[in-house]
Amino acid sequence: MLKYLLFEGGLYKHERILEFLEDVGGFLVQKTVVGLDLIMNLAVPEEELGRISGIVSELKGKLTPAPLIGTEIAVVAPTLSRHHLPHPACDIAENLRRHGAKTNIIGLSRGVGQKIVHTTIKEKELIEEHDIAVFTLGNFERCLMKKTKLFAEIEVPVIVTGGPVMKSIPGAEAYVGGIGRYPERARTGESIEKLREVSRVAGEVVEQRRREMDLDPLIVDPIIVKAEVERQVPESTEALSPNPVTLKIDGVRVKLPYDDYKDKIGNISIGGKKLSDFAVIKRSLMRNYILVKVLPKSMF
Amino acid sequence: MGKIRIFVDSSDELGGQQYKYIAEKSVEDLGLGGSIDSIEMLIRVEEPLFIIVIRYKEVTGKKTLGDASYIDSRKNGIRITLSSEIFLGDALKALWSKYGRDRVEQIGRLEIFVSGADPEEVKGIGLSEKGYDLDSRINELATRIIPEGFRVRSSTKKKGMIAIIASEDPIREDWRELARRLEENTHA
Repeated sequence: MLKYLLFEGGLYKHERILEFLEDVGGFLVQKTVVGLDLIMNLAVPEEELGRISGIVSELKGKLTPAPLIGTEIAVVAPTLSRHHLPHPACDIAENLRRHGAKTNIIGLSRGVGQKIVHTTIKEKELIEEHDIAVFTLGNFERCLMKKTKLFAEIEVPVIVTGGPVMKSIPGAEAYVGGIGRYPERARTGESIEKLREVSRVAGEVVEQRRREMDLDPLIVDPIIVKAEVERQVPESTEALSPNPVTLKIDGVRVKLPYDDYKDKIGNISIGGKKLSDFAVIKRSLMRNYILVKVLPKSMF
Repeated sequence: MGKIRIFVDSSDELGGQQYKYIAEKSVEDLGLGGSIDSIEMLIRVEEPLFIIVIRYKEVTGKKTLGDASYIDSRKNGIRITLSSEIFLGDALKALWSKYGRDRVEQIGRLEIFVSGADPEEVKGIGLSEKGYDLDSRINELATRIIPEGFRVRSSTKKKGMIAIIASEDPIREDWRELARRLEENTHA
């Protein structure tokens, strides 16, 4: 199984890490250079963790487990009004991104009101395009309990955040309390710690999902699909959208128009076979992008 | 100018406390610190019911800096002491426009120093033509505080006070009675 790690260090001799990854079948997911500092998202085979730690230690860098690398998370706010945005949804999304995830903020059309609250079919499908959904709810316990219908039928793991301190909430994988509605950026140590807790809980949910997927592994790892899409369809790297080829737990999102590029993406060759032979390629509800979902070995 | 008094009576105590914080930050964001006397909230999530009563100082429009402030001469310039924080934005804009930013310095919450200026000239400087629309700002404050799902609203306005009853359901008579009691309760 691949383990995802965040490397922080200098540019000096960082090629040693890249060469090591090539040798052991690991991948560089993303590289960010800020001045002389380097941040890299890496995917490394589990059995090689000891050796890469040694290399990073020699380079005086820092290596942190980052299970959220390679995931796409939807942060769902009840509406797009100032009651719910930018705080706390954007604070949560920012913290998730600091831990390696790619995030999209979704504002529901009718996520308010105890009686009228609901998620439309399209909203549900849009949320289910992601690997995890984080619903940011408010301050009143009774209200939160009435809003479980927002996510009860969502088929991806759901994490709920809210003000009340509770252990769990029906319909969700996990609940993080102490983050309700608040009107300014999280500045205190306590509130930032809460944001980190959301990222930690999301990491645990992702790890659990990956362990489950390991029982029936995907035909090919999504990171290989990403690399081949970028290599064989150069337009994918030239797209102006951020993260034009976004890695997900079970596939990739390619930010190119579906109608113009679906055949080209489907014809990508990996290991002598076409991508469309072992992946489902469909239109995303998000701007007609392309969703590639790799099938498990049992289906092939 | 005293501290704003905020009272919350909520059936969900923890949730209600957070609304005190939301009210404080909303007042700050809207620059209403000098105008608001008190905010009182009654929250019954089980009904659902949210009543908010905001008491504030009515402000008459001020046309010139001379109307809105006290001006005295100092060495090398003049000191302007505004009567209310709500004129600060317009005063600074007008002074910057006339004298330039490097000659105008805000030395306190209500004080501005202008170097090399004539007091009589400054007194005549006009503030915003539109005048200060406090009512719409107070309404905006209430809208920002009241939870979005409480869409059915009934408001009462009196001199220096606005009371809003908000719910998901049609407004009941007993709620109007609760609001009346809140309006009469001055917490003196």
